[in-house]
Order: sequence, then structure tokens, then C-alpha cells
Amino acid sequence: MESKSSGSATNLVDQLVYPGDVVLDLSSMTNQTIKLGGGLRQDCDVISVMKAGRLRFSKPNKYWVESSQKRYVPHAEDSVLGIVVDSRSDNFLVDIKGPAIAFLPVLAFEGGTRRNIPKFEVGALLYVRVVKANPGMNPELSCTDASGKAGEYGVLKEGYMFECSTGLSRMLLSSPTCPVLDTLGKKLSFEIAVGLNGRVWVIASSPPTTIIVANALINSEPLSGVQQKIMAEKLLQRVQ
Amino acid sequence: MEQRLANCVQLTVNEKQFIENALLSELRVDGRGPLEYRKLSIKFGKDDGSAEVQLGETRVMSFVSAQLVQPYKDRPNEGTLSIFTEFSPMADPSFEPGRPGESAVELGRIIDRGLRESRAIDTESLCILSAKLVWAIRIDIHILDNAGNLVDAANIAALASLLTFRRPECSLGGEDGQQVVVHPPEVREPLPLILHHLPVAVTFGFFSNENLVVLDPTYHEEAVMTGRMTATLNANGDVCAIQKPGEQGIFQHIIMHCLKLAHVKAGDITAKIKDAVEKHNNERALQKIKRRSSSVSVDVCGTTARLGGKQNQSGGGKDNSHLDQLKPKDEANFMECDATSSGQVQINKKDEGSKNFTGGPSSWYGKKDPYSECVNSDLLKAPMDSEC
Repeated sequence: MESKSSGSATNLVDQLVYPGDVVLDLSSMTNQTIKLGGGLRQDCDVISVMKAGRLRFSKPNKYWVESSQKRYVPHAEDSVLGIVVDSRSDNFLVDIKGPAIAFLPVLAFEGGTRRNIPKFEVGALLYVRVVKANPGMNPELSCTDASGKAGEYGVLKEGYMFECSTGLSRMLLSSPTCPVLDTLGKKLSFEIAVGLNGRVWVIASSPPTTIIVANALINSEPLSGVQQKIMAEKLLQRVQ
Repeated sequence: MEQRLANCVQLTVNEKQFIENALLSELRVDGRGPLEYRKLSIKFGKDDGSAEVQLGETRVMSFVSAQLVQPYKDRPNEGTLSIFTEFSPMADPSFEPGRPGESAVELGRIIDRGLRESRAIDTESLCILSAKLVWAIRIDIHILDNAGNLVDAANIAALASLLTFRRPECSLGGEDGQQVVVHPPEVREPLPLILHHLPVAVTFGFFSNENLVVLDPTYHEEAVMTGRMTATLNANGDVCAIQKPGEQGIFQHIIMHCLKLAHVKAGDITAKIKDAVEKHNNERALQKIKRRSSSVSVDVCGTTARLGGKQNQSGGGKDNSHLDQLKPKDEANFMECDATSSGQVQINKKDEGSKNFTGGPSSWYGKKDPYSECVNSDLLKAPMDSEC
């Protein structure tokens, strides 16, 4: 065990790791700064894994563990899909699939003033950005990006939204584009909004197309790149 | 307030509009047609009378048990039937542990009415001693995962478990014929319940557009729909029960149309239940044949020889009267089996595999703690020896 983990962790990067695995031995690395992301912990001289998942490394010195859950833990600067559940005088209450309801200030829109507060009905779907997410407190959201511009944030009209795991959301947002989106995009025209909280919104010109895209995305989670292409092509063939 | 909001799955206006629009073109979100059922799979547990049904993503488990009780005063010749439902919080974030909520009680009532009012179970055959002792049948339904249409899935599970349930046989004895002897399953084969027909529940969902009807709604369709109706029919077309809990009004001709659809679906589902039960009964019968016969098949003999040998050696620590009765017969068997080569026993053992270990010993030697044999180190050594 000692020999495996001494020095570099290149043998474990992109591998499945489990809680208790030792990833890095700091005593053999001197004068280096290492940044640890989620799922890793420093125990004196070693870095060990806390959450089961895949170990990732990004140059020059960032390590983290990626795993897929049904629940979402809010983090700042995440773009998520929220559902309005209530409106107060100064906040909208928005559900983002986290442990606590999030607050969206009524002024957090581009050019937002007391005179032009938007009206959202209960059940409106919004694409928002998480501004603050401290444990134990209600997260704070905003419909503008960091510089104050609206960008793509705001209410999503029509279309169909489904829920998925956080792993699927990250896969759909990865670059280069994931194979299922590529294959579907070659034949169908559609638009999707992916929230890192495990919600995906799809809109296409007609309901059958929307349903095909939604089902293809839901089914693509356990498949590898090649399998996704095959599955998407089979689905398209069956329909046309 | 916020905690409560966080517990339920929220519905968007987009979904509501989309589901209704798609239905106008006869398409449902998971690709089904409006009158199609999801994939149904029925599995049975090791015990008689336990079944697990999976309808799409909805999972329901059902157990049937029986107890001897005093009958009701106004029905001294009939056994009783009672249904208990448990909506486990793991099935849905809105299910709370503890007292059953409204939907749990409603589900229990629908299944109860379907079985009781239509007299599907022959309760008179459950009477042992008139006015003194009858069998009380109890059905426990556990919801494991709620993905819509719990009523239909729970009903199928209840029927499947009733069909595979076996109750011990009783005989009247004693001087005045008033003493009841309940025979354990090893002595007399337990008896199935007598079911005259299978009442199958079929649930319909209605939407704000009056012409839209769906069968077997999913979780999201249930949240969007404005009215529902459950019709319990059997394969002969008899209507056993209808449940329509308020909400949107429905025209008479639509109800008649739904009943006709339900008749067709009830026939399909009845056939599926009967197939699954038959397959299960055949498998169980095959296992019983291998367990019970000793001189017919040498392979069973091989394992029992080993276990029997150890049993005799370990002596009277175990309380089996059966073992004493069977001893003379066993000795003869042991002599036969020892003559066979160890190689043959080894091959046969591999074929039997786990079947003998789970079923064989406990039924052969009578009811006792099966774990005592598994943990016995002598038994663990014996198979190792034969394989080396």
C-alpha cells in the first residue's frame, strides 16, 4: 500500500477511488502548493479520499473527486434551474433541489429597480446563478452574471423539464460536446438549458422531437461515448 | 414552511402545458401511447405469499400471512380478510412515517373492496370450527418506490401474493372432534387459498381537456391530471368496484368507454399474473422433488450424507424428533452413498449448488435454526475435503 501511494498520484487520476484511499503522500513532495477540491482531505502527511467517485487532476496543481448524486449541494457560481415556489416583498423563493429553499432578490435582474419588478407565477422555471451558498443558510441567487448583464439567465418559457443526476448534468455541459448531443444535433434542431443541480430543460419545434431528445438524454447516463452514439442513432432511425 | 416545500417535488407550468399538449397528439412523455401500460414484472420471494411487483419505476411489495382467530359473531362460518398498507418514506419524500395518510387509506380501501365485495377469496373454506376458529388472512402492502399509479401495482402485488400463499392444513381430532391440530408444512403439504377470480384495478387519468384519457399515469402525469378513476374488473368483465374520488366531473359515455378499456386491460394483466404464478409454482415444485426424494437421486443423497453424518455425531444437542425417526432409513442411505466415488459426489454438488444449502437441510431434518448448520465448522471442512 505504501509503495503504491508514494510520490505521484498519476496512477490514480481518472480512476475510481473510494473513501479511505490514499491519493498523495506529501512527505515526498517538497515546496509544492496543491489545491484540493471536493472529496479530498488532508490528514497530516497524506491526502485521502472522502467521497467515492473519480479522481480528477487539472494542471498545475488541482485535485478533486467527481461523483454523481441525485441531490444537489449548492455552490457559488453554479448555473442552475430553479422553480419559483413563492414571492415575498424583497425575494422570490426558488427551489433549486438543495437542502434549503433559495432566495432570489427582486432586484437581481439586469436594470432591475423597484418600479419594474418582474412577476413570476408559482411554478415558473428560471435559469439562475448561485451567488452565495453557505452551509446552513438559504442560498442566494441572481439572474445576472457577475458583471450585471442578463446573459442567458431569466425565465424559460414552454418546453419540457426533467430531473436527472448531477453527473449527467456535468456530462451534458462538458467540452468537447458529449456524443449524444452531437448525434442528436445532426438530425434534430432543439435547445437545451442544463442546470448543475440535476435539471435539464429541452425545447424543440414539436412535442415528438422534444420527447425524443429528453428520452435520449435520460438514457445516455450509464453509456460510454460510443454507446451513446449508437443509442441516439437507433432512436432517430426508429422515428424517421 | 420552507422545510415542507423542500420535501415535495415541484411542478413547473412548462411541464403542465407540455404534458397536455403532447397528449393532444397522443404522445406521452416517456414515449408510450395514452392507453399503454408500463413494463410489468412480478417476482416472488422465498416465503409462500410474498410478491414484489415493478410497474415501470413503481415498486410495491406484498406479504400474506394467516392466523387462527375467533370469527365475527354474525359470520361464524367465514374467515376474515384484512389489508394493511405502509407508505414507506423511502418511496416518496412526501410520505411521512407513522399514521397512514389519506392516499394510503384510500389505496387500502380500493384493494379491500375489490377483493371483499366481489367475494374473490372463498372465505367459507377458511373456517375450521364453526363459531370457534377460522383463519384470518392478512395482506401487508409496502410501497417501495412511487413513480405513479400505486393502486394498480399494489393490487397486482396483492393478487400475486394471494395466489402463491399457502396455509397450513388443519384436521379435527380429539374425543369430541373439537380439538384442532395444525400440521406443520413438513408433515402435510400446505394448502393454497381458493380464489374464484382475480379482480384487477385499472386507473385512468383525466385532464382539463375532456377528451384526454390516459391509462397508468406516471408521477408527473398524476401531478398534472385533474381527475382520476379506478375501475376494478375481472377477466370475465364483471365490474367489482369503481372509485372516483371527487375532482373533475366526467361524462357518462367516457365512463362507459373507460370500463370497456379496463375489461381488455384486466384480461391482459390477469394472463400475466397467472403466467408468473405458474412459472413460480413449477420452479418450487421442482425444488421440492429434489429435496424430498432420497433414494431416487444420488446427488441429494451426497450432501445429506455429509450433513447427516455430522448431525449424528454432534448428538442430541438439537431437538429433533424427526431425526430419530429417520435414522434407520438414513443409515441405509449412507451406506449406499459412501460406496459412490467422491468424484461423483463432488460433480453433483456443483450442479446442485446453492439449492441444497438453502432448501434441503432444513426441510429434511425438520424446522430448526438453519444458521446452526451453516456456521458449523465441521460442515465447512467437509466440502473442502471433497474438492481437494
